Amino acid sequence: MDYRKLLEIIPTGKWEIVSGKLIDFILTSKNDDKMPGHLANVILYQWQNGTLKNETGITALLRAAVLLEPEKTITMFNELQMANVAEQIKETLGS
Amino acid sequence: MTKFGIEFVPREPYWKIIYYAIQAEGGGFSNLWVTDHFNNRNVYVTLTTAAIYTNKITFGPGVTNPYMVNPVFTAQAIATLNELTPGRVVLGMGAGDKTTLEGVGVEVEKPLAAVQEAVDIFRKIVSGESVAYKGEVFKVASAKFLFKPKGRIPVYVGAQGPKMLELAGRIGDGVLINACHPKDVEYAVNSVREGIRQGGKKPEDVDVAAYTSFSVHEDLKKATKAAVPVVSFIVAGSPSLLLERHGIDLKKAEEIREALKANDWGRAFGGVTPEMIEAFSVCGTPEMCTERIALLLKSGISQFVVGSPIGSNVREAINLISQKIIPHFQTQS
Repeated sequence: MDYRKLLEIIPTGKWEIVSGKLIDFILTSKNDDKMPGHLANVILYQWQNGTLKNETGITALLRAAVLLEPEKTITMFNELQMANVAEQIKETLGS
Repeated sequence: MTKFGIEFVPREPYWKIIYYAIQAEGGGFSNLWVTDHFNNRNVYVTLTTAAIYTNKITFGPGVTNPYMVNPVFTAQAIATLNELTPGRVVLGMGAGDKTTLEGVGVEVEKPLAAVQEAVDIFRKIVSGESVAYKGEVFKVASAKFLFKPKGRIPVYVGAQGPKMLELAGRIGDGVLINACHPKDVEYAVNSVREGIRQGGKKPEDVDVAAYTSFSVHEDLKKATKAAVPVVSFIVAGSPSLLLERHGIDLKKAEEIREALKANDWGRAFGGVTPEMIEAFSVCGTPEMCTERIALLLKSGISQFVVGSPIGSNVREAINLISQKIIPHFQTQS
């Protein structure tokens, strides 16, 4: 999945709330073993530099959340009235 | 000034701990402690990663022990970390957890001598000296680093019993005590101060840190629910003397011990009483936790360490501590 393209359909006004929710999914996930080390390092680097709410940060968070907690991520986008984003994730996971 | 520390157990993957460490640093915590048990992830790998992703927080093993890890190796690891982040590294050294160590065939003998000698060897070798040492527990024929260690590294001694507390006060730059209740802190601080006196130091020369089982949430029920499992293990592992000091029914404690042995979590956690929560955790709303921390500070600690579980949601709990608890003590000092 091209997560940067996915980010383009998420309104920038929602980036902060999306970022916060994705961080919670990742930190509370029991599927730790699904997190690739290189992706974890990117997220930590972005967090260290205060950029988890910008394009690069949210892209990394999306990638991790879809790997660790796909169902929760889809539900969250539906709840935030972004069914198109949820649908795209669902389609990619199904393919 | 009151210091706030935070403790992590590297049973969690490194990226979760480092995320929280970065958050804690930004939220006003001054110290990061990482536990050292063979059955969790390695403490020095975790601390090295923390060093890379943080900028100012002081950190160290809290605590390592001289039985599993030879003090010369500990000195090498700590001195190398101190090159990576000069002035931000401390050593936490204690006698270790007897049950865990015996599980891997390591006998815990002469803990007082072992800790004292380990601290001696550590200090000598990180100061760049060539070390020849003949102690009761450790013997070093000849050891010297082939690199030049940088600066002086503070040593905190983890202590529980009165003799170890006294030793900690005498030889330590800091002391780490497991205590959540003012009664236990006062008891420990008296022994530490005796050691400080014997060492010819002033009380303010030694940073006394209380390691606490901590749980904060705006909703008291949620804070308590998160604290219960940790408290059940503390009760099960506590000597009768300590339980009696807090008026805890020994029979109830025994029931929890038996339930934990049988992996009957429901019965074990269900047996935890409000008195046990009160004695063995700092738990509640931010206001309640602030009140308890103030009492602990009055009892003689200079660093308050937030330990497991921290809260039902660790990220939210660190935010609460940073926004509602730490500022209270910054304005006080």
